[in-house]
Amino acid sequence: MNSTPQLDLHPDAESLSAFAEQALATQEREQVLTHLAGCSRCRQVIFLAQQAAADAQAPAPVPATRPAKQPETWFWNWRLAWVPAAALASALALVVTFHPRHTATAPEMAKVTPQSEGTIPARVPQERASAGAAHRPAPALTAKSLAGNADSAARNMPSEELAAPSAAPPAEFGASAPSTVQNHAVLPSSMFSSQQGETAQYRPEPAVTSWQQDQKQSSGSALSASVDASQVSQKSMRMEAYTAHASRKAASAGPRMVQQSQSAPGGSFDVATQQQLAGLSASRNANPPLPSGLAAVSRATAQNLALEIDRSGALFLSGDSGQHWEPVVQQWTGRAIEVRAKSVLSGSPTTAVIFELQNDAGSIWVSADGKTWTAQ
Amino acid sequence: MLDELWRESGAAAYGLEREQFREILERVAAAQNFGLTPGARASRQQQASFFRGLRLADLVLARACASGHPGAWEHFLAVYRQPLTRAAMAITGSETLGRDLADQLYAELYGLTTRDGVRRSPLDSYRGRGSLIGWLRTTLAQRHVDHHRRTRRELPLDDPADGYEPQAAVPEPDNPPAELLLLGKAIEEAFRQLDAEERFLLAAYYLDERTLLEIAPLLRVHEATISRKLHRVTGGLRKQIVRNLQALGLSKPAAQEALGADPRDLNLNLKKILQISSLDAFQEKAAT
Repeated sequence: MNSTPQLDLHPDAESLSAFAEQALATQEREQVLTHLAGCSRCRQVIFLAQQAAADAQAPAPVPATRPAKQPETWFWNWRLAWVPAAALASALALVVTFHPRHTATAPEMAKVTPQSEGTIPARVPQERASAGAAHRPAPALTAKSLAGNADSAARNMPSEELAAPSAAPPAEFGASAPSTVQNHAVLPSSMFSSQQGETAQYRPEPAVTSWQQDQKQSSGSALSASVDASQVSQKSMRMEAYTAHASRKAASAGPRMVQQSQSAPGGSFDVATQQQLAGLSASRNANPPLPSGLAAVSRATAQNLALEIDRSGALFLSGDSGQHWEPVVQQWTGRAIEVRAKSVLSGSPTTAVIFELQNDAGSIWVSADGKTWTAQ
Repeated sequence: MLDELWRESGAAAYGLEREQFREILERVAAAQNFGLTPGARASRQQQASFFRGLRLADLVLARACASGHPGAWEHFLAVYRQPLTRAAMAITGSETLGRDLADQLYAELYGLTTRDGVRRSPLDSYRGRGSLIGWLRTTLAQRHVDHHRRTRRELPLDDPADGYEPQAAVPEPDNPPAELLLLGKAIEEAFRQLDAEERFLLAAYYLDERTLLEIAPLLRVHEATISRKLHRVTGGLRKQIVRNLQALGLSKPAAQEALGADPRDLNLNLKKILQISSLDAFQEKAAT
């Protein structure tokens, strides 16, 4: 240290620095401290140097040359954008997850667009007059719509698979396995397995296809929101759950409906063609299942005609006492829950038989042949 | 030992031979007498302890830079340029002034100033006692304080800026009360009996208005310790003043009452008292 008894001579920078760093010997440190006690200049120096040292240990200040950091700044700005993007993606995932659960109940209610009563009877005979050929566009349309609905879900699939359903002939809808590969992934497995035995001779009628369309649309709408193939299997599981739910509801509603059929006022009298519950189950065991593969919830027979409503509300007609079934085009609104046969008195000595169909809203439709229905 | 120190210092990287390194160490030791008081003779153990306590790497770098070694300057700029600029900005509180101060010091360190045709660099005065960056910070602070004090003295009288106002001469009372005179003497005597650290604490805390957090690192103690020390010093000072007053002939109640006098009535300059106390203490220590 260059200090002397005169305070005009200050310790040099090294002595002050070494004092702050505790690098001085005890005696020399005491001398510097003595000087510091009486020298405001050296105290100021040492405090300023200490302040600079503390500032150096603090995080580096933002440099004035901001443009050099522009790419990093851009990245950081966009990193902030990931937060709302992640929130949006989470919300989308929630919608995709919960939307099918809401839409799964739609087929249960047999959503069929109400058709005007005047047009239905006029159109149905035309379709019937052209025999099965007129019905062929319906399966084609169904397959096409299914392919369209599953399009977004199968974006990652090869294009050949996507083109197959629409390119396949409508007649092959049920029989052609390759064209329904995607449908099998969506449809309930039980339904698909039951169709396999029937589809060779079964061409779905619009009533069936409309239900299937509803089912497919509900699944397709959910599928279209997701591009992950794993969602398809999840969807299939949900549809199976829906089927089980529908069967439970039908089982609980079945006895009630049968009871209604038995106690339904026949106008004049009951023709006793209502199938008893035991008889229904017995004949069901004997007869082949409905083309839809679902259990029947209501049945009515008259002469050789038999009508059955399955759990989904689709009506099927058999002209050979239940040996072969064909779907009936839906001409009523809502969901059919009960069908019954009634004999009406007419002027002739023979008793005429008509069929009555009741939907879930309580409305009645009547038909003489089981194919053409008019509102009562 | 010299070989070991020479290898540890990395002097070979700057072209310093072993003999040159030995000369540097000898000059450093002679200038500081191995850290002992002037005239004391250092033993071999004290010498070895002194050499091992030196910042040899920093010392070698400073000497290599002072001699103009390009590699040393490259290393110096790579390591110390940014910290030095930051330190200058922290000291001056201004980016512009800080950069000016740092650039000015760079010019000096590089040896742009010559004396008798020989480049003179302040780095020659660095002797490796503390760290080189600490020395650089302290040098910057010295430059800044000296510049500030110098320019403050040059302020025009009609521009009392920067809080500087010429003090009006305070007329001293013709006959101050005897108690006040005794109190002044008792205070001066009490301050004179404080040791260096206590005076430093009082000066830093009360005169410079430094915080406990600023004072504590200099003494390498916790700020709470500084607070306790201050409390103890002021309490002891008060007791000592009372004792001094009693020694001057006042009774204890009178001495206690004298402590309640208005400080503005006292003609005392504590700053001057502390300086005198420091001078006295240094002389006492030098005499021993």
